Amino acid sequence: MPLTMENVTYTYQPGGAFQATAIHDVSLHIADGELLALIGHTGSGKSTLAQHLNGLLKPASGRVLLDGQDINLKETDKRDLRFQVGLVFQYPEYQLFEETVEKDIGFGPRNMGLSKDEVDARVRRAMDSVGLVFEEVGQKSPFELSGGQMRRVALAGVLAMTPRILVLDEPTAGLDPRARAYLLKDIQHLHEEGTTVVMISHSMDDVAQLATRIAVLEQGRLVTTGTPEEIFEQFDRLTQMGLDVPQASKLSHLLRDKGVAIPLNYQLEPLADALEQLLKGGACHAQ
Amino acid sequence: MLNDITLGQYYPADSFAHRLDPRTKILLSIVYIVSIFLVKSLFGYIPVVLYLFLTIKVSTVPMGMMVRSIRPLRILLLFTFVLNLFFGTGERILFQWAFLTIRHEGLMNALHFSLRLIFLVTGTSLLTLTTAPVVLTDGLERLVSPLRVIKFPAHEMAMMMTIALRFIPTLVEEAQKIMKAQTARGADFTSGNLKQRTKAMIPLLVPLFISAFRRAGDLAMAMEARCYHGGEGRTRLHVLKFRKDDAIAGISILVLMAVIILVEQWL
Repeated sequence: MPLTMENVTYTYQPGGAFQATAIHDVSLHIADGELLALIGHTGSGKSTLAQHLNGLLKPASGRVLLDGQDINLKETDKRDLRFQVGLVFQYPEYQLFEETVEKDIGFGPRNMGLSKDEVDARVRRAMDSVGLVFEEVGQKSPFELSGGQMRRVALAGVLAMTPRILVLDEPTAGLDPRARAYLLKDIQHLHEEGTTVVMISHSMDDVAQLATRIAVLEQGRLVTTGTPEEIFEQFDRLTQMGLDVPQASKLSHLLRDKGVAIPLNYQLEPLADALEQLLKGGACHAQ
Repeated sequence: MLNDITLGQYYPADSFAHRLDPRTKILLSIVYIVSIFLVKSLFGYIPVVLYLFLTIKVSTVPMGMMVRSIRPLRILLLFTFVLNLFFGTGERILFQWAFLTIRHEGLMNALHFSLRLIFLVTGTSLLTLTTAPVVLTDGLERLVSPLRVIKFPAHEMAMMMTIALRFIPTLVEEAQKIMKAQTARGADFTSGNLKQRTKAMIPLLVPLFISAFRRAGDLAMAMEARCYHGGEGRTRLHVLKFRKDDAIAGISILVLMAVIILVEQWL
């Protein structure tokens, strides 16, 4: 179920004194099963773009197509669309409202009009896929959980609708390293199970770890898309845009600058392997 | 849906009216309201109209914005006019059709009360159009501060008003965000009957309240960190001072009042 944006432009407060074009002429194709990372500077239009994917925002011009169907036509069932394209906002833990974790996660499925048993089953499955134990936290109030756990409850709340496409807006922002690692693992797991994922992130290390493709936004325009290799190769260009590069890219660049013959790597593991080989080789020479 | 909440309709400019001391403007508004209630005949509104035009001119607020300030009242105005028009008592009948009777007194009353309402609202909205909310509360605090003698919490009241005003845009933004997030989970805020709609507000209101409390806590902490301990001994960055302009404005409103009284006496 591919999702496509065709020449989408969106303007905040059109005609008003504070008119601002948030995204400009963006065309983007999201293929089934990919994990697309959306990167860009603060204010580059990433969140605005994300809200177009499930019809929360309507483009000023251009179209958004799901399975080739324009999602902004009158006859499209917007609610059904939102069950298919799940959107997790930034800091989603601030949307929790129910008395218990179970009820909160069940909010989406209940809105879908599912039977009680089905809602129940989905809540358990969703909790399972984000590593929450139903028996442990299901009956707790979401407000007595830790920040990281609350974030996972919120994520489960969207997952319980079993969306085929999952859009995550800065899922790891403000989490401590351990919670972040857990969450990234959850996302990877979901992706491996076949969910198409669009992830907005500031953390290039997260992106390097997960993404199969990267789209770069700058001042509302889609500057470039490509595989992580292709994108992180453009070290200087990214830095110019005020973006970071993964630690591994930085290190391999620095090493190459110092004359160490090492391939460019954007992930830590392959970089470590390359270094290992190099060091072992060096050790042989010394003998 | 929340976009049409226009609060702090302040019109930023640097005019004679904007530069006046907020206390002057508050007192001016009070005298203006009293003056309007002194008007008994339609002729009495002539000086009011002239004065209003003059102040609008001086304030540089566009006419369009003034008209917009009456718009929320259009239903009330219509009711005032129609009810007075048909339910007047008196001898002189101007128009009669079926059970509808328009009498001279009714017509006069209808005009009188509608005009009074329009002038009241436009005149007082000039106050908020030319005074930033924070400056306004500042002026209010100074005006009521003599009441501290009878233990009236003037500073606390002004501080609460300032904070409330400051948080309105923040909370509106927050509400929009939460609404979108719950919509993404299939919540429906716009359809259904009254009961369903009220229930649909829970997923919006609970997070909104929680966030408001959280922000209040944060703000209290930040204020304490900067040694806020109430109004006692607190100095100000901008000390309010009456100037010559304030005297001129004060005299102008007294002139209006005098003219109204004279007009009412002679007519």
